Amino acid sequence: MIYIVTASYTEGKVFIDHFKLEKLDNPSKFQVFNKDELFLIISGVGIVNSAIATTYLLTKYGWRSEDIALNIGICGAIKTQFSKGDLILCNKIINHNSKKAFYPDILINHSMKEAVLESFDFPVKKEHQEYVEGDIVDMEGAGFFEAVSSFLPPHNIHCIKTVYDFLEYDKIDPKDIANILRKNIPHIEDFMNSLLAFNEKYLKIQKEDEKLNEILQKLKENLHLTKSMENELKRILKGYLVRNKELPEEIAEFINIKVNSKKEGKEYFEKLKKILAL
Amino acid sequence: MKNSKKFSLSKPFSHIYVEKEVISHHITQEILKKFTHSKVIPINHYKEVFSRPRQSYKLQELSKKLILAKRRDTFLSPASPLCQNFGYHYFYYTNLIINCIFNCDYCFLKGMYSSANIVIFVNIEDYFQEIENMLKKHPLYLSISYETDLLAMEGIAPFFSQFVNFTYSKEDLILEVRTKSVNYMVLKSLKPSPNVILAWTLLPQEIIERFEPQTPRLPIRINTIKKAIHDGWRVRLSFDPIIFVEDWREIYERFIDYVFRKIPSSQIQDISVGVFRIPKEYLKKMRKTFENEITLFPYIEDKEAYTYPSPIKEELLNFIISKIKNYIPENKIFTI
Ligand code: SF4
Repeated sequence: MIYIVTASYTEGKVFIDHFKLEKLDNPSKFQVFNKDELFLIISGVGIVNSAIATTYLLTKYGWRSEDIALNIGICGAIKTQFSKGDLILCNKIINHNSKKAFYPDILINHSMKEAVLESFDFPVKKEHQEYVEGDIVDMEGAGFFEAVSSFLPPHNIHCIKTVYDFLEYDKIDPKDIANILRKNIPHIEDFMNSLLAFNEKYLKIQKEDEKLNEILQKLKENLHLTKSMENELKRILKGYLVRNKELPEEIAEFINIKVNSKKEGKEYFEKLKKILAL
Repeated sequence: MKNSKKFSLSKPFSHIYVEKEVISHHITQEILKKFTHSKVIPINHYKEVFSRPRQSYKLQELSKKLILAKRRDTFLSPASPLCQNFGYHYFYYTNLIINCIFNCDYCFLKGMYSSANIVIFVNIEDYFQEIENMLKKHPLYLSISYETDLLAMEGIAPFFSQFVNFTYSKEDLILEVRTKSVNYMVLKSLKPSPNVILAWTLLPQEIIERFEPQTPRLPIRINTIKKAIHDGWRVRLSFDPIIFVEDWREIYERFIDYVFRKIPSSQIQDISVGVFRIPKEYLKKMRKTFENEITLFPYIEDKEAYTYPSPIKEELLNFIISKIKNYIPENKIFTI
């Protein structure tokens, strides 16, 4: 699953259109859009709103550690090295209030610039500049990041920002926002695909596990295994598999046994352990 | 969404996290000069990055990052009873670097830390001060390459050479530097110190290929050892961990004969031998992330550590020691 969090509808709309997302009928204060494995939520402005919406999205629609969460939107830039429309992958995200900092793991190459994002509770203007530690500023990133950190590993959490202004925030124009974001979609989509491919490659082993789990499930039921016996057996089976590439034929026998008592189950369990030893 | 199924890994050390307090330290500056293309990210404390929740050690190994930090306390620690002390009473270890570039499958660091990123504590002067303080009380046998391969890291942080230079004037200090590195250039550039023992870990080439493919090959390690001995360095060979594999007898017999055919045993300080063992907690953690022949072996519990069942362990040790004894006197063989 890929979860996208945007602050405003204007920012979200660009992705809703591009990915042809459809609005979900969901009884909450948030608008959620979806197609296949992609979800997008409009969080509203602010660190807290972003954290609430993100938590809502991940808990409501389920998450696994290979899922990806992205906060995408516009930002203001402090440093003059950036230009309007620059696409930035944030390598550090600071919560201005708590001074807590968050770090995504950037393990794959991407075509964006990188910078430090600082999230504020208020729109940052030129006169606040001396308090800013980051290179760019927004009002959501830190809330999003802290919330997702409770669920996902740091290589699957990213804040992607497009420079909109240089702290002259009062000039915001929705059309302009949509235009600059739309231009950046190919880079964002590439990054999303790279993350998916990276996770998929890493998860190959887990897919192979499905077969093993099936066998384990049968053995567990047939032999009345306790949770700890089941865990031990799982490890032994996996160990046997990595050493011998396939399970011994004798396993088939155990899959068809139905025991009548715990004692009998234990006896079979011990027998099985012997067969699988070394 | 169309999935192109393509990605490329970021280069190792593509990102360097630097504690603000050490940004101007001369070692920080020296390191940063070597990575001009890396992104430098200021941090307050190394644990902000190193101890994040839910990190994937396994994935981070694919693209390690550097963290430059300041060690603020516990510069020296007593060594674990799972390590051979070679008869030295005051056996300590110290970490200037946490984690290693070699990623061996059996490495205890995978179970010890939640991050594969490499932390370098740049304030070596504070370590030296602590060592001086301890030497005022008693002699010291110090392992300095305990949670990394310091010699292999010399190109990044020049700690090995600084330690060697430090020992010249210290009579009561013996340093043990465990390594699999073949960085002979560094050795060549230094005057060999009688206070430094270079402890080379050697494994049969078949086992290197299977369980530590990123380390230098056996013949190259042996060449480096020969040159080091020739130059006057004290060398220990460490056949540790011995890994149990099918055909282990032939593999280890060939290995031992090969090693001693190449290295004159009379010029070796001593040999340490030990079978694979790992603290229980570390193995439990490793099993969650790494499912391979090493982690999934049915070990038994032996004092706080997991190791091979006694018959296997004894057979391995007896066999290997009996072979080594053909080449080197028994009093030079240390077993754990
Ligand atoms: S060389 Fe040593 S420290 Fe480095 S990964 Fe291998 S076992 Fe671990």
